[in-house]
Amino acid sequence: MTKDVVEVHDLAKSFGHVRAVDGVSFSVRRGEIYGLLGPNGAGKTTTIRMTIGIIAPDRGEAYIMGYNVHKEPVKARSFIGVVPEISNPYVDLTAWENLMLVGGIYCIPKKVIVKRAENLLKILKIYDARNRKVKVLSKGMRRRLLLAMALISDPEILFLDEPTSGLDIISARMIRSFLLKLKEQGKTVILTTHNIDEAGMLCDRVAIMNKGRIIARGTPKELKIRFGEYTRILLCFDKEVDAKLIRECFNPYEVVVQGRRLIIVCRSKDLRDILDQIVCIVKEYDLSIEEIQASGLNFEDVFIKVIGESE
Amino acid sequence: MRFGEISQYLYKIWVLCLKDMRLYYFKGPTVIMGILMPLFLWLAFVVGRGFSFAESLPALVTLASFFVSSSITPIVMPWEARQKSLEMLLSRPVTIYIILLGTALASSLFGIFISSALVIIGLFLNVVPRDLILLVLGIAVSSLCYSFMGLLFSAVPSDVPADAVMLSSAVRLPLIFVSGIFIPVPSLPHYIKPIAFISPLTYFSDFINYSYGYGSLFTPLIDVVVLFLLTIIFAASALAINKVTLMRRL
Repeated sequence: MTKDVVEVHDLAKSFGHVRAVDGVSFSVRRGEIYGLLGPNGAGKTTTIRMTIGIIAPDRGEAYIMGYNVHKEPVKARSFIGVVPEISNPYVDLTAWENLMLVGGIYCIPKKVIVKRAENLLKILKIYDARNRKVKVLSKGMRRRLLLAMALISDPEILFLDEPTSGLDIISARMIRSFLLKLKEQGKTVILTTHNIDEAGMLCDRVAIMNKGRIIARGTPKELKIRFGEYTRILLCFDKEVDAKLIRECFNPYEVVVQGRRLIIVCRSKDLRDILDQIVCIVKEYDLSIEEIQASGLNFEDVFIKVIGESE
Repeated sequence: MRFGEISQYLYKIWVLCLKDMRLYYFKGPTVIMGILMPLFLWLAFVVGRGFSFAESLPALVTLASFFVSSSITPIVMPWEARQKSLEMLLSRPVTIYIILLGTALASSLFGIFISSALVIIGLFLNVVPRDLILLVLGIAVSSLCYSFMGLLFSAVPSDVPADAVMLSSAVRLPLIFVSGIFIPVPSLPHYIKPIAFISPLTYFSDFINYSYGYGSLFTPLIDVVVLFLLTIIFAASALAINKVTLMRRL
C-alpha cells in the first residue's frame, strides 16, 4: 500500500474565463492532517471538489488510496468521508434518518450503523437532538451532524471544507479537538481553511494557495523558519492614525493599520530604517507610542507575507 | 462487474429510492401534479356526461399512472441541487446513475401504488379486468416508462423545481388530449393522429381499454412491448442528458 493516501497531479479548472485552479499538485501521507490554506477565492474548495470527484478537472488527475477518482469514483469514495463547506444534510429528515441514509449508501449493516451513529452523536453532543428535523437544528449542530455523517462509514480519509467556518468558539473548539482525536486514531484529514490559527494548531503540513496555485508548502514550522529573516513590529499610538498616510510613509514595507495599532513586516536588516521612520512620524504628527514590540513572524504573518509576495 | 458489486449497486438504488419516497411523496408539486391533477381531469371528463364508474375507470387509471409516475422525477434533481444535498450524495460512493435510478424507482412505485389502489377500488365495485396479472404488469411497465420520461424533464439545467414542473406540464398536458383517453384515436383529426402514435400515453390507454373489455387498436402484447421500448429510450436519454447537465447544477 502506498504511503501517500491522496495524490493530486496538475489539477486545473476554469469556469468560463476565470481560472479557478491552475496546475495544483500535492500528496497527503497516511495519518497526517494536511491543510489547504488561502484567502477567499484562492481555489481551495474547487481543488477539494476535484480531488473527491464531484467536478471533473479540465486537466490533471487525483488518486485516493491508489484509485483514480474520475475513473473509479465509487471505489475511491468508499475510503473517504466529506464535510462540505455548505451545510447540506436533508433538512426534512431527522439527524438520525440522515445518518441511516448515509450508512445505507455505504452498504453498512444496520446494526453497525446504529451503533456507530449512537456513538458519534454522543461524542459530538447532538444525541439528544437525533430525532429533530435538520431544519430546526442550529448551524453548529448541523456542522457536527455533517461530521458524524462523514464518519459513519469509519473512513480512512476525511475531507473537511472550512470545518469551523461561521461557528461559535465552543463548537469550533469541539470540532478541532475531535479532529486531533481522529489523528490520534490514525485517520488522515485534509482540510481547507482561511483560519490561519486553526491551520497552525491542527496541520502537520500545509499548502498555501492563491489565485488557483499553490504558492508555498511545508510544515507551519518550516514556513516560519523560511521567513525567519523577517521581523514583525507592533506599535500602538495614543491616537488613531491615517492609514493611507502611514502606508505611504512605510512604502514598500507591508503595513497593517488597525485604528491606533500598526503592524509592520520588514526584513531584519531594514529594522534601523524603519525605526528612524517611526521616530519621524511620531515627531511630525505629534504622536506618543504607548507600546512597541518587535518579534519574529507568527504563522499568520507568514501567510500574509506569502500571499502578498504572490500578488 | 461481480455479483457482489451488482448487489451493492442495487442496494444503494433501493436506499435512495426509500429516501425519495420519504422526502417527496407529500411535496406540493407531487400532490398537485400527481394526484389532484388526474383526479380533476377525470372529474371534468365524467361529471354530467352520464358515464358509469366502470366506463370511466380506464381513463382514471391511465391518468393516475401517467401523472403520478411522472410527477416526482422532474423535481428531485433541481430540488436537491438547490438544497446542496446532491453534492452531499455525490461525495459518497455512488454515481449519478445510481441516484437517478433510485429516483426513477421511487416514482414508479408511487405510480404502481396509486394505480393499483384504483384497480382494487374497481374490484370492490365489481369492475373486474380481463386479466389482473397482465393489468398489473402493464401498470408496472407504464409507470417505469413515465417515471423515466419525467426524469428527462429534470435534466433542465436549473435548480428551480418550478422550471422542471413547467416544462413537464407543457409536454404532459397536451398528450392527454391526443392519446385516446378522452377521444378515441380513430376519431382524432388526421393531422393529430401521427402525434397519437408517438405518444407513450396512447399505448397504455389502449392497453387499459383492452384490460377492461373496451375496444383497442393494438394487442396488449404490442402495447406492452412499445411501452417497454419507450422505457429503454427514455431511460437511456434521461441518464445521458442528466449526466451532461449535472455539472451546471453543482
